[in-house]
Amino acid sequence: TAGSMDRRDGARGWQHVFLVPEYLKDASKKMKNGLMFVKLVNPCSGEGAIYLFDMCLPQLFEIKVFKEKNHSWFINESVQSGGLLHFATPVDPLFLLLHYLIKAGKEGKFQPIDQVVMDDMFPNCILLLKLPELEKLLRHVTEEKVNPEIDKKKYYKYSKEKTLKWLEKKVSQTVAALKTSNINVGARVQSTAFFFGDHVSIDKEEDYIRYAHGLMSDYIPKELSDDLSKYLKLPEPPASVSNPPSKKIKLSDEPVEAKEDYTKFNSKDLKTVKKNSKMTASQKALAKVDKSGMKSIDSFFAAKLVKKVGKI
Amino acid sequence: MENSEEESVDRCRMHLRPFTLRSPAPVTLHLLPCEIPVSRPAPVERFFTPAIRQGPYGLEASFRGRSLRGEEVVVPPGLVGYVMTEEKGEVLVGKRDFSESSEDDHELEEQDAMGSPEALERDFDRFIGATASFSSFTLWGLETIPGLDSKVRGALTWPSLAAAIHAQVPED
Repeated sequence: TAGSMDRRDGARGWQHVFLVPEYLKDASKKMKNGLMFVKLVNPCSGEGAIYLFDMCLPQLFEIKVFKEKNHSWFINESVQSGGLLHFATPVDPLFLLLHYLIKAGKEGKFQPIDQVVMDDMFPNCILLLKLPELEKLLRHVTEEKVNPEIDKKKYYKYSKEKTLKWLEKKVSQTVAALKTSNINVGARVQSTAFFFGDHVSIDKEEDYIRYAHGLMSDYIPKELSDDLSKYLKLPEPPASVSNPPSKKIKLSDEPVEAKEDYTKFNSKDLKTVKKNSKMTASQKALAKVDKSGMKSIDSFFAAKLVKKVGKI
Repeated sequence: MENSEEESVDRCRMHLRPFTLRSPAPVTLHLLPCEIPVSRPAPVERFFTPAIRQGPYGLEASFRGRSLRGEEVVVPPGLVGYVMTEEKGEVLVGKRDFSESSEDDHELEEQDAMGSPEALERDFDRFIGATASFSSFTLWGLETIPGLDSKVRGALTWPSLAAAIHAQVPED
């Protein structure tokens, strides 16, 4: 009969619906392995987030998720609750490198990059050092020195001035994209959705800049975001706006967290090592929050079969 | 113990098997406007699919007696859709489990590490693979088709905006 209810269809485990760049498919033809989901720092919050790393390209992708209350998937002959739609999109690795450079910059001295990008919480940060054109990237946000006498090695120091210039360029290329994409960036739009088609067109340059600044702010620490706002000469937003514009673009208002014990396969297998000691206090707090009927990318790292909620 | 450090790194990774991305079978996807709290096999072909009709305002169907309206949403250009399914991790204690099928080639060697025999003694390797692919899905709303301002349609424009945010900027 049609629709045989065998276990091959949906019974094997949680099914994640993903949209990924097409070229990943071609890149995958050349490789046996080296494509993996890893936990790295979210450069805005400093918490953990799940990324996809392709060692073949090599390239880093961030994982974002569409989640909205009351959705589910029918996937062939199965139901997948939650109705999540995951996106893997290329991310500028400089945002993550910047997180480490800013931290090291507080010491105010020049250091080799492999001594800057070190992280006990997220040991996979060493993958960032494998990215192509690393030196070219770093030039945007650091002062560099070479010690020709000793080792010809490059030494880097975070430069706020260069970073703000770099971010300003990022903002203007994002503004250009916003203008062609018909996204309503008006401060009075309170919906979290994008608007298309016949909305009132907003042509105030400042609205676009503020919106783009909001988008950037998802990838940089708060302090730098405030500095950037001053640098772009953005006026303080009117107090009547409860949501900063950046909130509109988000697929989910929560950051991508990886906060569960990813040494578990699933709730049935509890005899594995406890890694919870690695969670920060805020991650623990977040872990307790009851969310609504969702499964998260955490499930990559802890496939739970209980009806528990998460997020990506 | 350099090796234990590498193990701990590897434990924070879930490997996506590249070969599964090459030609997974096409899959039929429906995004429903309601919460079904369990994930499990379901006779979609028997109860849901045959009831879908092309009406004057898009597709019509019903679920649990409620009337649904929907339409086909195409995956944006440059993207490809996959359904990814976790594989059960296997426990490796000192030796490989050769009972698995040969096509399910469990690659234990990392490109960047793990050449030692101790590598086989890691607790497990975590794997995920694409089990199916799609180039469109059917988006359903309760009684009306989700409009242009719906969150899911907004989300579909995210990749093009993300490309602008993350594109490299020219050097001075």
